[in-house]
Amino acid sequence: MDPTVVAQATGDWAFVLDNAPYLLVGAVLTVVLTVVSMLLGFLVGFPAGIVEVYGGRVSTFLVETVGIVLRGTPIVVILIFMYFVFSTPSLTLGLFDVTVTLSDAFIASVLGLGLRSAAYQSQIFRGALQSVDEGQLEAARSVGMSKLEAIRHVVVPQALRRSIPGFQNEVTIVLKDTSVVFAIGLAELLTRSYDLFVRQTTAVLEVVLFVSAIYFVLTFITNRGLDLIGSYYEIPGGEQA
Amino acid sequence: MSDNEHTYLLEVDRVSQSYGTEKVLRDISFEMDRGDVTVLVGPSGSGKSTMLRCVNRLTEIDSGNIYLDGERITGPDVDVNELRKEVGMVFQDFNLFAHLTARQNIMLGPRRVLGLDKEEAGKRADEHLEMVGLTPQADSYPGELSGGQQQRVGIARALAMEPKLMLFDEPTSALDPELIGEVLEVMRDLADRGMTMLVVTHEMSFAREVASEMLFLDGGKIVERGPPEQLFDRPEEDRTASFLRRITEMHS
Amino acid sequence: MSEPVVDTTHEEGETRLSTGGLGRTLLVAAGVVFWGWLLLRWANDWLGGLFVPVGQPFVAPATIESLGASIPGLAGAFDALAFAVEYLPALSEGLWLTLVLTVLGIFFGFFIAVPLSVARVYGNLSKYVSLLYTELLRGTPLLAQLFVLYFGLNISGYVPGFLDGVFANNAAWAALVGFILNSAAYQSEYIRSALQSVDTGQLTAGRAIGLSKVDAIRYVVLPQGLRFAIPGWTNELIYLIKYSSLAAFITVPELFKRANDIASSNFRYTAMFTITAVLYLALVITASRMMNYVEDRTAIPGLGTGSGR
Repeated sequence: MDPTVVAQATGDWAFVLDNAPYLLVGAVLTVVLTVVSMLLGFLVGFPAGIVEVYGGRVSTFLVETVGIVLRGTPIVVILIFMYFVFSTPSLTLGLFDVTVTLSDAFIASVLGLGLRSAAYQSQIFRGALQSVDEGQLEAARSVGMSKLEAIRHVVVPQALRRSIPGFQNEVTIVLKDTSVVFAIGLAELLTRSYDLFVRQTTAVLEVVLFVSAIYFVLTFITNRGLDLIGSYYEIPGGEQA
Repeated sequence: MSDNEHTYLLEVDRVSQSYGTEKVLRDISFEMDRGDVTVLVGPSGSGKSTMLRCVNRLTEIDSGNIYLDGERITGPDVDVNELRKEVGMVFQDFNLFAHLTARQNIMLGPRRVLGLDKEEAGKRADEHLEMVGLTPQADSYPGELSGGQQQRVGIARALAMEPKLMLFDEPTSALDPELIGEVLEVMRDLADRGMTMLVVTHEMSFAREVASEMLFLDGGKIVERGPPEQLFDRPEEDRTASFLRRITEMHS
Repeated sequence: MSEPVVDTTHEEGETRLSTGGLGRTLLVAAGVVFWGWLLLRWANDWLGGLFVPVGQPFVAPATIESLGASIPGLAGAFDALAFAVEYLPALSEGLWLTLVLTVLGIFFGFFIAVPLSVARVYGNLSKYVSLLYTELLRGTPLLAQLFVLYFGLNISGYVPGFLDGVFANNAAWAALVGFILNSAAYQSEYIRSALQSVDTGQLTAGRAIGLSKVDAIRYVVLPQGLRFAIPGWTNELIYLIKYSSLAAFITVPELFKRANDIASSNFRYTAMFTITAVLYLALVITASRMMNYVEDRTAIPGLGTGSGR
C-alpha cells in the first residue's frame, strides 16, 4: 500500500481519537436528551393511554387526534416546528445552587421528542391496558373497589408490566431519533460528528463510523438493560407480556 | 445384503431411537403385508407416535433398519423426499396448510412434488375430495371446516400422493366425540379398498373391527402383538390386559 | 431484539385512525381532494403545462385572497389558503421524490429482507450473519447511516452512467441505497417474527408430503408468514414515509427539503411546516388505509388475525 495513504488513514483515526472527548460530551447530551424526552413522554403518554381506554367520547377523540398527528408527522418536521413556533428563549433553572441554562434548541428538542414519544407511549399503554383481562376489573369491583381504585390497584400494575417490551422499543427509537436534532443544531453526538468531519474532510468515514459505533453501544446497552428489568419484574407463571 | 430377502411391504428391523438420553424405542421389529392394517396401541410416551414418524423419517432412528417394499429406507443415502412420496401421513392436529383451500391443500403435493400440471392435480384433488365426501367443501379454507372435515381433507391430501403406505398418528384424538365417527368411516373405507395402514389410535372399536394385527407398546418395546381378538380376549400379558381394559372403559 | 407484541403496539398506534360515520366520510373526502389535486398537479407539470403553466398554481393565490376579503371574518383563513396554494406546486415535486424513494426503498428492501429472515429462522451460520446485519442497522440512527453512505463513502459519486440523471440530484441514489439497506433490516425483523408465528406443524406437514425443506418454506411457510407480516409491513411503510425526510440532510430535494428551503427564504416557518405536516399526514393515512385494504383482501378465513379485523 502507498505509505502516504497509510499515514493519512492513521492520521484520520488519530483525529477521531483526539476528538473523542468532544464526541463523548455529545454522547452524554444524547443520553440526557433521551432520558428527559422519555420522561416527558411517560408523563404525558401514560395518562393519554388511560384516557384512550377509559375516557369519555370527547376526551378520547381529542387525545386520539393529537396522537395521529404526532405519529403521522416526521420527527424532523415536529422538531423544526417546535423550534420555530414555540421558540422559547433559553431557560435558566436554579437547583440546589446549581444553575443550568437550557438552550432554546434543547427545549425544542425535548418538547419535540418527548411529545412525539408520548403519542407512541400512549399506544403502548393503551394496548397493555386493553390486554388485561376484563375479569380482573370485574373481580376487583366485586370485592368492593370503585372503578378508579380497580383500575389503579389491579389493572394498571399488570398493564405496566406488560408494556415493558413496547417501552423498550420506544427507548431505542427515541435514542436513535435524538440524532435528528441535528436539524436544529443542538450539539449532540451526530451534530458534533458533522462539525468534526467538515473540519477534516478526509476523516468523514472514520468519524461517522465512530459515532455509529457509539450509538450501537448505547442501543445495545439499553436493550440488554431493559431485558434485565423486564425479567426482574416478570410475574412467575404470569403471561408473557 | 440383497433387498430380495425383504418381501414385506413394510419391515421394521430392530429399530432403536432415543431422544437425548431417553430411550424412546428399544429394538422394535415388526412387519406388514400389503393390505394390512396394523394398529399401534400403548400408553402415552410408549413410543408409538415416534415409531410412526420413523417410518417416513420425520424422526431419525439410531440403529436398526426399515424396509419399504423391499428397499431400505433408512441410512444417509436415501432421498427422504422420494420416500415421503410413497408414505402418506395423517396428523393428530390435521396440519392442513392454513392458507390453502381444501382443494389446494390436496393439490400442493401432486403439483410441487409429483410435478403434475394444474389440471391433472385438480382432477386428482376432486377425486379424493369425493372419496372423503367433501366435494361441496372444496373451496373452503381449513378455518371454515369442522375438525372432522379438516381431518378428512388431511387424509385426502395424503392419499392424493398415491402412497403405498398410510400412517395415521392419532387421527381422532383432537376431535370432539361427535366428529370422530366420520373420520373412522373414511379410514374403514380405505382399509376395505386394500390400503396398507399403520395406525396409532385409542379407538378400540376401530382396532377390533379393522386391524389385521395389533401391537401393544410400552416403554419403547413391543409387549405383545397379535390379532385384535387375541389382545382383547386372551391377552398373554397382564400389562396388555389392564391397559386395554382401561382404555376401553375411558372411550365408551 | 423486539418481540412481536412490540410491533403490534406500534402498528395499532399508526393504523388505528379515527373512525365513525362522519369522520370516515370527511377522511375519504379529504383523500379524494388530496390525491385528485396531486395527480392533476403531476400530470400538468410532466406534460408540460396541461392546464396551467408548469409550476403555477391551478388557482391564483390573489383570486383566493380577494375572495376571502369579500367574506367578513374568513379573510384570515383565505389568506392562509392562498399562501398554501402559492407553494403547493413546488412541494408537489418534493412529494413525488418522497414517494418514489419510499416505495423503491421498501420494494428492494423486501427482496433482501426475505432471505435475511429465512436465514434467521432456518439458517445455521447464516443465522448469525443475518442477526449481525439487522442488529447493526437497527441499532444505529438512519441519519448516521445516510452520513456514512453520502459523506463517508460518497456513494453518489459512483452512480453508473445509465442511472446518472434519473434523479435531478445523484444524492438521491445514496438516500435510496440507505433506505433499502435500512428497510431490509426492519422488514426482516417483522417477517422473522411472522415466520416464527407460523405453526411448526405446517412445515412438518409440508415435509411429510415430500416437499424439500426449501420448497416447504416457499410454498407453505412463506405464504402464511408474509400474510402475518402485513401489519409490520404497514408499520415499515409509514416509518419510511416519515424518515425519508432525513434525506434532506444529504441534499436530496424531497418534500421536507423543499419546504425547508422555501421557509428559509420567506421566513414563514410555522405556515410552511404546518402545510408540510399535513402533506406527510395525508401520505401516512393513505398508506395505512391502503395496507388495511391489502390485509383484508389477502385475509384467509381462520388464518391469523386477518379475519378479525
